[in-house]
Amino acid sequence: MAMTAATAEAASADRSAKKMPDRTFWLLAPGVIWMVLFLVVPILMMVYVSFWTQTTFAITPTLTIKSWVTFFSSDTYLSALWTTIRIWLIVLAATLIVGYPAALFVGLFVRNKTLQTVLLVLCVIPFWTSFLIRVLAWRPMLGKEGAINLILQGVGLINKPIEVLLFSELSVIIGMTQIYCVFMVGPIAFMMGRIDQSVIEAAQDLGAGFWRIFRTIILPLSMPGVVVGAIFVSVMVLGEFATSAALSGRKVNLLGNIIVTQVGSLKWAFAAVAGVILTILMGIVVAALLRVVDLRKEL
Amino acid sequence: MAAVLQLSQVTKAYGALRALDGIDISLPDNAYISLLGPSGSGKTILLRVIAGFEAPDSGSILFKGERVEAVPPHRRNIGFVFQNFALFPHLSVARNIAFGLENRELNPITDSAVVRAKVKDIVALVGLTGLEDRGVAQISGGQRQRVALARTLITEPSLVLLDEPLGALDANLRTRMRAELRAIRERCGVTFLHVTGSETEALAMGDTVLVLDRGRIAQADDADTVYNRPRSAAVARFLNCYNLFEGQLSKDDFVSPVGKFPLQGQQADARGQPAYAIRYDRISIRPLVASVTAEEVRIEGTFIADEYSGAAINSFFSLDDGRVIEVESHLSQAAPQACVPHGRYALVWKRQNALVYA
Repeated sequence: MAMTAATAEAASADRSAKKMPDRTFWLLAPGVIWMVLFLVVPILMMVYVSFWTQTTFAITPTLTIKSWVTFFSSDTYLSALWTTIRIWLIVLAATLIVGYPAALFVGLFVRNKTLQTVLLVLCVIPFWTSFLIRVLAWRPMLGKEGAINLILQGVGLINKPIEVLLFSELSVIIGMTQIYCVFMVGPIAFMMGRIDQSVIEAAQDLGAGFWRIFRTIILPLSMPGVVVGAIFVSVMVLGEFATSAALSGRKVNLLGNIIVTQVGSLKWAFAAVAGVILTILMGIVVAALLRVVDLRKEL
Repeated sequence: MAAVLQLSQVTKAYGALRALDGIDISLPDNAYISLLGPSGSGKTILLRVIAGFEAPDSGSILFKGERVEAVPPHRRNIGFVFQNFALFPHLSVARNIAFGLENRELNPITDSAVVRAKVKDIVALVGLTGLEDRGVAQISGGQRQRVALARTLITEPSLVLLDEPLGALDANLRTRMRAELRAIRERCGVTFLHVTGSETEALAMGDTVLVLDRGRIAQADDADTVYNRPRSAAVARFLNCYNLFEGQLSKDDFVSPVGKFPLQGQQADARGQPAYAIRYDRISIRPLVASVTAEEVRIEGTFIADEYSGAAINSFFSLDDGRVIEVESHLSQAAPQACVPHGRYALVWKRQNALVYA
């Protein structure tokens, strides 16, 4: 009897071992198929198209590097690349400067879990309106006769409206910072919330003042949140085109705007070149950010 | 002996709950004090008030002769060992231990050679040599306990508060760490205030045992006195080795719901609820027919079950009013009487062994 039981057990163990690869396959198949069809193939296609021959009205699959040469010898495209990098860095810094203290407050200083959730939900409320409205709402705010200028003039701080507020790089940066800040606050607040209160009390008990504790305990323990937030913000800002189109009066051209115009005028090869460059740029940025913190270890 | 810490009339309330209700204690220098209290008695809050994480509503705290109620925790130099150890998860064992020396606001040590030497000494003291470069997630519970202790001791506090320091360890390790904590304290010559909910731990560790009951110090004595002469029924209950009967004192008897217990010259301590207490191991189990001498008290109970714990057997009897009485028979003294389930037995003790509170 015991013998049969043992054999049965061995057999079932054998079966489950044999079934294992089966199950792995079926669990992974939908995701893998989806990603291959709609991510890997399009990316390869994009790279391929970037080497096609582009004439004014047509594109032929004859391989050439002409589009690439045009991109790197054109001031317009190169300056768009630099503008993209500059605006990305400024917005990244701005979201961090605005978002980190907010996350520190919500995640660490608000002890009440309910209040914490309420505050985080408040951060997300702007997302209940559409992207376009959020961007366009900045116009009556920043414009020459907009709210900020009217108030500053009314108070008597300035005589002439500040024109640089709207349709400038500044307005794009203000708009993007507002829109993407929450993606910085969320991950950082999450990491802050995971810091054990008694760890901070222990540091206090050992004689450290607040800034010491911040530098030696809170900052390193919240770094994974900063990295995740930075990845979110970077990926979104690098691919941006709508905010700059709506708030810069077409003065600020990002790589995203280049892609939109090129696709609009059916210049697929140029669009593909810009797309490949943008993808590589994002890849480098994400890889570099992941170097900062080993997320697998931290999360 | 000079008092390192003196609390007088310290009170702390959360809404209607008086978590600390007029605490008066005085801790001598260079001693091991254990603080026994059931959960909810306010023991963790008391430690947090002493360390400075919570401010008392009223009362004064004198640490080394100076009032410290308004001093923030990082300027008090009172060590605190947390129940969950609260190690810095991103730092190695050595960095954890060096943290206080390098980062304290008052008089930090910037010379890394000095820090290294001190870390080396303290690591040897608590027995962690060889583990300095490990992450704190890569060491065992007992080792983490030692890191927490070393991290506190290296800053040379005059008083170390330990909040259930052995609670997170398994039973085997707990016994070993008890002896080790005492040894480490003796070598450092500081005062340890060790908070625990376990009566055995409190009695085993403390030179002095404080018993906390609903925000008040119910007793402060040496372990032997606390165990043999608990000052109130509440203290006797926390010790987990007394059968307690409520009732009234009337001349020469204590009248309880299960009958009259004649007294023999006991001084009734007038504290709290009237009660009659008899220790588990003072009761003997006899057949119903056995005779009883003049100085003995006898009640009857029905045997329910027993529990074997190696050196002793604890038997449980239910009395006629449903209450359960526990009897501890030490196996070294005599072979215990085998009790029949549901059988009725006489439970007998000497009058003089009972404690009476009125």
